[in-house]
Amino acid sequence: MEPHRRITIDEALPGGQGFTGSTARGVNSFNGHKSAPLEAPAFRAASERILSAINTVIDGKAEAAKLALTVLLAQGHLLLEDVPGVGKTLLAKTLARTIDCSVSRIQFTPDLLPSDVTGVSIYNQSSRQFEFRPGAVFANIVIGDEINRASAKTQSALLECMEEHQVTVDGHSYKLGEPFMVVATQNPIEMEGTYPLPEAQRDRFMARISMGYPDKDSEIEMLETHQATSPLARVKAVVTAADVAAMIATVQQVFVSEAVKEYTVAVGRATRDSAMLRLGASPRSLLQLLRAAKATAALDGRDFVLPDDVVAVAEAVLAHRIILDRKAASSGETPQALIRGVLARIPVSREMTEKANSGRTAPELRPSR
Amino acid sequence: MTLTTQPQAGTGVQPQPVPGSPGSGRFGAGAFPWVMAGAVAVSVCGASLSLNGVLRGWAWFLPVLTTVVVVSLTMALLRTFRAQPLLVAAGGLASLALILTFTFFRRDSIAGFLPSQATFDALGRHLRRASETVLAESSPVAPNAGIVLVTCAALGLVVILVDALALPLGMPATSGLGLLAVLVVPAMIKPQSVGWLGFATTAAGYLVILACSQWFAPDARTQADTARNPGQVRRAALTGGVALVVTLLLQLVVPGFDQGTFPQGSRLNPWGTATGLNPMISLGNSLRTPTGEGRITYATNSATPLYLRSVTVDRFDGESWSPDDRNANRRAGTGRMDAGHEILAPEQTRQVTVVNTGDFTSPYLPVPYAPESVNGLTGRWSWDPATLSIKGTDTNSRDQQYLVQSSVPKLTTELLDASSAPVQGVPEEFIRPPSNVPDIVRTTAESVTADSRTAYAKAMAIQRFLRGPGFTYSLESPVQNGYDGNGLSVLADFLTQKSGYCIHFASAMAVMARLEGIPSRIAVGYAPGRQTGATVSVAGQGALPEYEVDARDAHAWPELYFQGLGWVPFEPTPSRGVVPAYAQDSSASGGTSTNEQNNDGLVPSNGAAAPSSAPAPAPLPLPGSGTADAGNQLAPALYTAAGVLLLVLLAASPRLVRRGIRARRLRGTGTGRDRLAEQPLVWSELQDLATDYGVRPVPSETPRTFSARLRGSPALRLRSEPDPGGAKDTGSGADTGNGPGHGAGTFNAQTVHAVTALTEAYERHQYGRPAGQDATRHGLPEEAAVEHIGQVRQALRRNAGTVGRLRADWLPPSVLSRWGSVARWPFGVLGRAATRVGRAASALWRRTRRGLRRLRAG
Repeated sequence: MEPHRRITIDEALPGGQGFTGSTARGVNSFNGHKSAPLEAPAFRAASERILSAINTVIDGKAEAAKLALTVLLAQGHLLLEDVPGVGKTLLAKTLARTIDCSVSRIQFTPDLLPSDVTGVSIYNQSSRQFEFRPGAVFANIVIGDEINRASAKTQSALLECMEEHQVTVDGHSYKLGEPFMVVATQNPIEMEGTYPLPEAQRDRFMARISMGYPDKDSEIEMLETHQATSPLARVKAVVTAADVAAMIATVQQVFVSEAVKEYTVAVGRATRDSAMLRLGASPRSLLQLLRAAKATAALDGRDFVLPDDVVAVAEAVLAHRIILDRKAASSGETPQALIRGVLARIPVSREMTEKANSGRTAPELRPSR
Repeated sequence: MTLTTQPQAGTGVQPQPVPGSPGSGRFGAGAFPWVMAGAVAVSVCGASLSLNGVLRGWAWFLPVLTTVVVVSLTMALLRTFRAQPLLVAAGGLASLALILTFTFFRRDSIAGFLPSQATFDALGRHLRRASETVLAESSPVAPNAGIVLVTCAALGLVVILVDALALPLGMPATSGLGLLAVLVVPAMIKPQSVGWLGFATTAAGYLVILACSQWFAPDARTQADTARNPGQVRRAALTGGVALVVTLLLQLVVPGFDQGTFPQGSRLNPWGTATGLNPMISLGNSLRTPTGEGRITYATNSATPLYLRSVTVDRFDGESWSPDDRNANRRAGTGRMDAGHEILAPEQTRQVTVVNTGDFTSPYLPVPYAPESVNGLTGRWSWDPATLSIKGTDTNSRDQQYLVQSSVPKLTTELLDASSAPVQGVPEEFIRPPSNVPDIVRTTAESVTADSRTAYAKAMAIQRFLRGPGFTYSLESPVQNGYDGNGLSVLADFLTQKSGYCIHFASAMAVMARLEGIPSRIAVGYAPGRQTGATVSVAGQGALPEYEVDARDAHAWPELYFQGLGWVPFEPTPSRGVVPAYAQDSSASGGTSTNEQNNDGLVPSNGAAAPSSAPAPAPLPLPGSGTADAGNQLAPALYTAAGVLLLVLLAASPRLVRRGIRARRLRGTGTGRDRLAEQPLVWSELQDLATDYGVRPVPSETPRTFSARLRGSPALRLRSEPDPGGAKDTGSGADTGNGPGHGAGTFNAQTVHAVTALTEAYERHQYGRPAGQDATRHGLPEEAAVEHIGQVRQALRRNAGTVGRLRADWLPPSVLSRWGSVARWPFGVLGRAATRVGRAASALWRRTRRGLRRLRAG
């Protein structure tokens, strides 16, 4: 696609500030302190602004848009996997643009080097010092196109950034900005000459979304609206990065009850016990599942998580982490169907209901008889 | 775990011919019909082998074999010509008719096999014969033409049934029902049940049917391709094992297999007590009958209880004793009978007895000894001068009513003691001691009678010995293999175990008496019964008291011959019958003298019946015969009332339980104790309400999904209205309640709002922050919750049909399913345990096999 210019900084860094070089520490972050959580109406207004902005650009993909926002608010990373031309990159770009924050895009190719991602130290003649030139990863939203085309070395350079939100070059650790989100796209069809993401790396993506083809009406509308100009040009940022940080703080405060935790663990254990799976859901995946569920709950205007929230994100969060048994795979089973089967089998907090029925109320009722 | 690979259903099943018309393929009708016909014939013949023992001998088997083979071959032939399934069955029936005509009515038909009018006449005769045999004889019955005809016809029909089940209906496994129908007959009638031979051949035939339908069926429907399914063998073994265990355990738990309705050793006889050809065999069965079947009533002017005698047994050789009819000597007509030997007793007592046999069915007539004339019988009867037993030549004792005049000599101890003249005029078979007498019988007889000189003293010694404390009365021993044997070997067992019932006591005394030179025989009949309280007026006698006996009174006793006194009955069986005065010990002779005023030889052994001044004959006292009557009349009413009450309670109990649960839940809410505790209760009530009206909660469903499903279900929604919120299941629940409030929808919107509110309150309670951390959070006030529940209930009732409402009221599924789960619990535990054991066993086996292989390799 773009063989020469591999790294482009699409947007100027917020406030026009560039890297000052000598002190790379704290660059582009929100000054290190925690944002105050938003009140429910404000949160709701902000999330609705983002979603409607995305929906003006991408037709008929409200679910995918909401899931992308969920991942952003849950501080996770998103893997978009689908055939070319269904709007993976468009979704990533739109999401990035609706938020007033720094965005960088990396087109992954086999000859991309790790330093291109993380950054490199360059000798500054005038100051006679080595200066750190930050890589593409120093942005709030990093779009990694065709991530499976890069070599394993480069891919794993992204790993540390994704998990720890920091970059280590020449012994120095540089904090990444908050919020930080990697949106990677991947083409599952054309696999020749690619380096498929290893399990460890896939596990670091909170969710994987398959866009799928739009329905008939949306496709017709898309043909009309996208004729002349790129719809992306019209998109304006509707929230600031600070707003997003506050929203993230709100999400973190969502309450998770014992029952929901038990349910989440039950789902995870069920995948591990399944005879059709070679690899079940990891504990980290359950953590991310719960985080995504919290974000879903917050987007739904609640301050506590329902099992419904877990169910809503389970397929997107778990399906790309589990590995099917060879026999099950050859018989046409898919991870998505398997997750759905597990969800259809696990009772929702049956014990809690019974405990509440028998344990708490029975003793109180006795005197009234 | 539970997601198994589905077999590719679409590819395996090609449009094949339906079973029963296997004709479309090249070899569609090739070997298959013949193989199946052979399998059916083999299985039915195998099952019929078990009939040996119901029918005597094997002579009946050839006609059965012919019938079965002809019928099945005919059907196979028709199938080869691709006839319709109905036509095949019709052809089978026709061939059955032809072969039966050919076998049984060759002379009465046209050309030897075409039925004619004469054939049907003969058929009627045969069927009458068969029904008489079934009624009058006990197994094994002689294979007369009637019975064999019925057997052949039944087995031919079974062939058609099995064939129809296995082929046109495509249910080969069910065809075992036809074979089972054959097995039921010997299982009920034969004392030793079906027997291993019959069972093995039937099972083999059944397996042949199954195998043939699996291997030879030309279509895919019965030829299931599941052999490669790895769990199949384990599942089959598990199913079989559980079935076996349940069968074995069930008969231990369920009463009625060794007591009650089917006591061990007895068999069901749906036609009442047929004493049959060998009353000795059926006697034990009669005694063990819990209900009084074969009731006989009689009225007599005899002052003492009367023994009714049917038949005597006098030949003690061989393994199975049976009465000897002596047909050559029998004389027809019962108007005048005479035993033929002179009676030298000074006085004779004449008795008049009216007997009504009711449904007691036997070829022999129960009469008091010694009959002089029997009047009022229907049918032809004959009597044996030697034994005075009366037997029907073409009829039986069912529904007979007759008047017997009998006479017995007045016997006293002195008379008997004095009777020492050598025996004369008695047929040889009553005198000859049996051959092959076991040593124990002989030595016992010698030691018992060592000190006695006269015949009477010897008889008394034997009776005293048998009535002594060493012997106990028992219906269970010495029964062997469920068969109440009565040969000499059984007698030896009896003397060893010192336990048995009347037949053993009687035969022991009879055999021992013969060994000591006293002519003897065993009389079989009934011990004296109970007074019914009714009277029967007999011409010339006035009103006579009525007695009744039934199967439980069946009895056997020895009769010993004393020269000049005739046949004298004794009573060696303890605790049964009545010991005659002459046969009582000298210690009890005081009683004898007082009772001599009765001018009667027989005296009740029971002192309670002693008041001789009573004008009425002393009946055998029966506990609680008089005073208990009032109670008896009241008791049924009470029982009925209690039963009705119980039934009503039982019918109403689901409703009552449901009401109780609801009241408890809503009351728990209303008192406003702890708001935390309410929500689950209200929520459970909502779930149960939905269950009752057909919307069952699924365990894997979240509250919100359930609520959306309930809101969208026709049970709650008005049919005319658009879906107010069901489709939007994960959306914000609060919005759905504020639907359009126009017309009938207002009511609906209210209920939808109620469900939504309840759901939100429950969610908040269940998953929200605990109250301590968020005090402002409280959901619904109690009154609102109760009101919401009421609204939902009303809406559900309104939308449900009459049937649905009735069901929700009287058989609420929420209660029933809870009970069901409680009832299923032990099975679930058993099943899980069985699975675990099976898994462990298979793992062990795998490990052992691997170890063995390694051992062999290394």
